[in-house]
Amino acid sequence: MNDDTTVIARTVTRIVVPIILVTAIALLLRGHNLPGGGFIAGVLTTTAVGLMYVIFGLDYLEEEILHRRPTVDDIRPPIAADYRAMYALGLTTALVSGLVAVAVGAQFLDQGFIYVKSLPGSKAPLPLYDKIEVASALAFDVGVYFVVVGALLTILGVVGAE
Amino acid sequence: MTEPSIAVLLALVGLPFLGAALVPAVYRVLGERTAYFAASVAAICLALVASLHGTHGTAGVEWVPSLGVALRFHVDGLSLLIGYLATGIGVLILTYSGGYMHGEPSQPKYYAALLAFLGSMLGVAFVADLIALFVFWELTSVSSFVLIGHYRDDPASQYAARKAMLITVAGGLFMLVGFVLLVAVSGDVGPATFALFTADGTGMLQNAAAMRDALSGAGLLVPVLLLLGLGAATKSAQVPFHVWLPNAMEAPTPVSAFLHSATMVKAGVYLVGRFRPLFVPKGAVDLGAGPWSELFVALGLATMTIMAILAVAASDIKELLAYSTASHLGLIVAGFGFAGKLGAETGAFHIFNHAAFKAALFLVAGIVAHEAGTRRIDELGGLAEDLPVTAAVAVVASLGMAGVPPMNGFFSKELLFDAAYHAAEHEGGVTWLLPAVAVFGSVFTFLYSIRFLMLFFGDKPDTLGEVHRPPLAMVAPPVLLGAIVVVVGLVPNLAIDAIVGDAYAASGGKASFSLGYPTSLKPPVLMSIATIALGVVAYQFYGPIRDGIRRLLAVDPLSANTYYDGGVEGLTALGRRTVPVVQSGLVRTYAAWVVGAFAALTLAAYAAAGVSLPGVETVAYDLGVATVSGPTLGSVTPAVAVILALACVAVVAVSRAPSHIAGVLALSIVGFVVAIFYILGSAPDLALTQLVVETLLLLVFLLVLDKLPEFYGGDDRGVIARDAVLSGVVGVTVFLSVVLATAADPPKIAAYFTQEATTVDEAGGHNIVNVVLVDYRALDTLGEISVVAMAAISVVTLIAMRQRGESS
Repeated sequence: MNDDTTVIARTVTRIVVPIILVTAIALLLRGHNLPGGGFIAGVLTTTAVGLMYVIFGLDYLEEEILHRRPTVDDIRPPIAADYRAMYALGLTTALVSGLVAVAVGAQFLDQGFIYVKSLPGSKAPLPLYDKIEVASALAFDVGVYFVVVGALLTILGVVGAE
Repeated sequence: MTEPSIAVLLALVGLPFLGAALVPAVYRVLGERTAYFAASVAAICLALVASLHGTHGTAGVEWVPSLGVALRFHVDGLSLLIGYLATGIGVLILTYSGGYMHGEPSQPKYYAALLAFLGSMLGVAFVADLIALFVFWELTSVSSFVLIGHYRDDPASQYAARKAMLITVAGGLFMLVGFVLLVAVSGDVGPATFALFTADGTGMLQNAAAMRDALSGAGLLVPVLLLLGLGAATKSAQVPFHVWLPNAMEAPTPVSAFLHSATMVKAGVYLVGRFRPLFVPKGAVDLGAGPWSELFVALGLATMTIMAILAVAASDIKELLAYSTASHLGLIVAGFGFAGKLGAETGAFHIFNHAAFKAALFLVAGIVAHEAGTRRIDELGGLAEDLPVTAAVAVVASLGMAGVPPMNGFFSKELLFDAAYHAAEHEGGVTWLLPAVAVFGSVFTFLYSIRFLMLFFGDKPDTLGEVHRPPLAMVAPPVLLGAIVVVVGLVPNLAIDAIVGDAYAASGGKASFSLGYPTSLKPPVLMSIATIALGVVAYQFYGPIRDGIRRLLAVDPLSANTYYDGGVEGLTALGRRTVPVVQSGLVRTYAAWVVGAFAALTLAAYAAAGVSLPGVETVAYDLGVATVSGPTLGSVTPAVAVILALACVAVVAVSRAPSHIAGVLALSIVGFVVAIFYILGSAPDLALTQLVVETLLLLVFLLVLDKLPEFYGGDDRGVIARDAVLSGVVGVTVFLSVVLATAADPPKIAAYFTQEATTVDEAGGHNIVNVVLVDYRALDTLGEISVVAMAAISVVTLIAMRQRGESS
């Protein structure tokens, strides 16, 4: 597939992929208050990686970015194991975020939040942000994000390798 | 009476399962002596049951209090009786297994399954909740399946395991329907409950009279009775569901003795005894319980007689004992069928007596098979010479089975005769058949009992080789059981005072009862004398009688097995024919069936629920085309009209696309147009999701495009017409669903979340969609991401299977 793509496509992809990734993370973080959230961010991240797959081929990510040599006898891309670890991590994060609520005496998956208004030890409001909301829901959303990214990339990678 | 302790009950039911889980580890250390580990688990359980002796009442642990779901236990005479049988005989069987299973394959599985069965059986006996009862009930079937299929390389063993599973589990499902009806009816009496007994007296068996009236009022008395009866009849091998029991004898003999004579098959009669107070009014006598008596007396007596006749025709000692077991279970069912005290006495006492003599006989049969190397009746004889102790046990237990004094079986049979005679005397007319049938069946019981006994006497056939002496672990258990048969036969009140009296009280009797040897020639005594006399005469013609029955059985339509095999074959053939039609290996066939089934089920549900379509005005309002009243969701602006028109054009383009690329691109136009529609409808989150998903989908399509087949449908007009109809139906279904769902006025739900107090103050977020996803409905989201992860695992698995060449 590497030879089929044009210079234009490759150059655009190089520029666009980092932008998509940053956008995805922004969507994840602001999800609680503005349009966005773990699921959207996850699918967007997958799109970025998928774009790389289409333009540069499946091995590109493995060899050029992660600097790993693919083993010859391995039929599945070794990165599939990383994707698997990713959704396992995501599920664990989501579950643990629910269990923490149980540990502090609330119901399973109950969420809480606090506003951080100043740095520890000082009374001045935070620079730029004034105050930051720290919501436990974010942990759950991060879990959702990782499951979506891991699972979709697993499917994409395995089906793509076929 | 003291209340039972919940800790003891939980330990009692949980311990065998814990033991089963530990068996593989224990086996690695102890090897074949695992039998004694398992036996000691059973012994602890026996001690726990004994510690419950004398308590009476209900205990439970709450689970979901808001739904009234709890794990409840109830202790009374009947549950204690079954508990004693399961644990007591369990100890003996597991000890015996130590000798019997020497050198046999897959022993860890064997002991684990036996212990799991013990726990399930104790669960059946002690739980006081219909759902828990059903779960433990089916668990006994599952462990029985594993144990019958112990010899995995033997096709006969596999056939037997499947047969037992199919029949008992199917019966259990009918019983579940009966349970559900009972719960529904209990809502007419008080708050709907799954509980048979509760501590505050709201269980359905505690309000038996009110429940009975409510069942009659709803016209459900007979249906519920039949459904519960099906559950009991399949489990306890009543006619015509007895066919699985003789095949189940493929299991190792200790299993047959434990599950298929003493305990598991007793679950059915336990159910009958347990529900007896619900259906039999207090004060009713003889056949006074209406449909209950008619059903169970007829079923029980028919089973007792037919199975006794079949036992006479048996050619294998375990087959003989299997039919005999079904026959005696019939006797118990018939006993419980009679209203009044005699019926309950018969049922409760015979549960005890039968377990004692039948378990002993099975263990004797196991010794014979093990030491003489054959189970064929024709090849056995004169065994007393080599197996003197075993022979003594066989004599005692066979006479008990035949109902000859002074053995325990005499009394319960006498009680049945008494109940049958009483009923006939009271009702008159055709009911005189009852005592006649009881005597007729008992003659055959006498016949096969004596035949079994005679294996130990007479000449030793030449074909029989050397007979070994069995090890002590195999002799001690049957000797103990034989001793119980004699002692209870001599002093019946010993057993009655210990446990049977309480069981009698729990199954609808008064307090307790006592029995003694008859001192005058009452009718039941005369019936017993007639039975023995006729039996002795008929035994002279054993050969001709047996051959006659066998000739009768050779006629196919007379054998229940014919129907079972035919039914299973029919179903299998139907399955074979269905698979290629539904699952042809082509994705489009699967898709057609899935969406077709979805549309059919949804439309059928709408039709069944009798939904009426909302008026055109409401629909128009919901779609934003017109305003009826109040705030609108937005009316059709020129922008929306353009967008929708574009979508229509794109849809037409998809169906007319000349190539895959064009089709995929046209399809993504539809997707993006929908996203724009969301934006215009003020749903940024939906729009965002739609956009990224659409992009990803396009990407995936591009990845797999060159793998797709060149051509989809071909020019076959029939296929095109079929697809068109299917698409039309699916479209109509989705349209109807949208219209009906939006007619339910969703703003009411939305209003809750649009309040600032709900989202911002309570959950700390301004994005309603996200707050719902990660906070209010976080459990749903957790479920959804689990599904996503599972989908990934399935894809990986499928592809890995293909690479290993496992696909067909």
